[in-house]
Amino acid sequence: MSTRNDNPERASERPDLRAERETFVRNFLHKGVELTEDLINENRGLEAQLQKFQEENARLRAQLASNDAIRELLQTIESLQEERTGLLNRSDELEKQHEVHRERYSAVEQELNDLASLYIASFQLSATLSVRRVVRHICELLEQLIGAQSFVVYLVTPDGKRACPIGSRGHGNTKFLMPLSAEEGPIGDVCLTGVARVFAPDDVREPGDPIALLPLVFDQEVIGVIAVDSLLPHKRAWARVDDELFKLLSLHGATALIAANIYEKQPGGRAALADLSEYVEDRESLRHSPALDAKAGG
Amino acid sequence: MTNYSCLVVEDSPMMRQLIVFALSRIKNMTVTEADDGIVGLKKIAQARFDLIITDINMPIMDGLKLVRKIRTDERHKDVPVIVITTEGSKEDRERAMALGASAYITKPIQAPQVIETVKELLKI
Repeated sequence: MSTRNDNPERASERPDLRAERETFVRNFLHKGVELTEDLINENRGLEAQLQKFQEENARLRAQLASNDAIRELLQTIESLQEERTGLLNRSDELEKQHEVHRERYSAVEQELNDLASLYIASFQLSATLSVRRVVRHICELLEQLIGAQSFVVYLVTPDGKRACPIGSRGHGNTKFLMPLSAEEGPIGDVCLTGVARVFAPDDVREPGDPIALLPLVFDQEVIGVIAVDSLLPHKRAWARVDDELFKLLSLHGATALIAANIYEKQPGGRAALADLSEYVEDRESLRHSPALDAKAGG
Repeated sequence: MTNYSCLVVEDSPMMRQLIVFALSRIKNMTVTEADDGIVGLKKIAQARFDLIITDINMPIMDGLKLVRKIRTDERHKDVPVIVITTEGSKEDRERAMALGASAYITKPIQAPQVIETVKELLKI
């Protein structure tokens, strides 16, 4: 059995070895620590790098997804744009159609009003057999439907030489108006030809000349004349229906005046038709006469 | 669908016919006609109207008197009244409006103008 104190040689070397060993161990440990620290640091660096790469990867993934979404959105925008263009085109078409319909509606409405005016004029002129009322209706027609402000209705005397006022507006009382010559001037021309003379409101005409002279014609004979001197302020031009109203006034007005004048000389409706009854009876007896029957039988 | 009744007081048959024609263009409108103010008053006493149209210049009873009477009638004091005036009669128009008329139409009467005014007053 040996102890440390048993080997003096080894005992003399012991402090150096021990120191060397300690130094070695210390160095070894120190290196180990350094290596470990290096490894730890490197690991940290790698971890950080990995983290960075992961983040970069996530960012790139997100960007990729975002790009896809943008691409989809762009496609949606494009299709919506096309849809919008289509709808705008359709809207334009509908707007044009609407405009056409509106114009047609307006034209139909105007036509309806014109027809109503003509119907009312015709109805009113034939609605009475009183001369006074016929004249009143002619005046109202001129005022209400044509828009005349001042006018005179003349009746031509049987000899055709004078035109006597029977109704007026805007000239005071008609009975104070003077008869005119039916053979001279513009009225004379209208009485002679039976053709209406109508000026546009802006036309230049002789002072005192009426803006319109309308003959009242029955069976190609002028029985009267309507002289329109001025129109209502808001009536700046003749309307399309006015021409038809002039024709209606010219023919129906004359007929209504004659019918009313004849009727007023009769005691009633049946008496006014008495001659007509005789005429019908004559025709009936003629149709059933023996001579005609024999002719028909033979 | 609401039904409307209108009284037209006008002495001129032509004017009356024109107004009735215009009113016939409004759906569910029943029109009663009167040829002067007195007849108009009788009609008002017999029935209740949603709208009254009256001419100003009428014999027997003019439109202004009629407007005054309408505004004192319990059943018709709030009923819209349209007066018909001539282009130049600004005074008549102002008097009618002061008496309680709701609107006025100037002669010559145009159907679209009548329709528009009536629709506006009846809120159709």
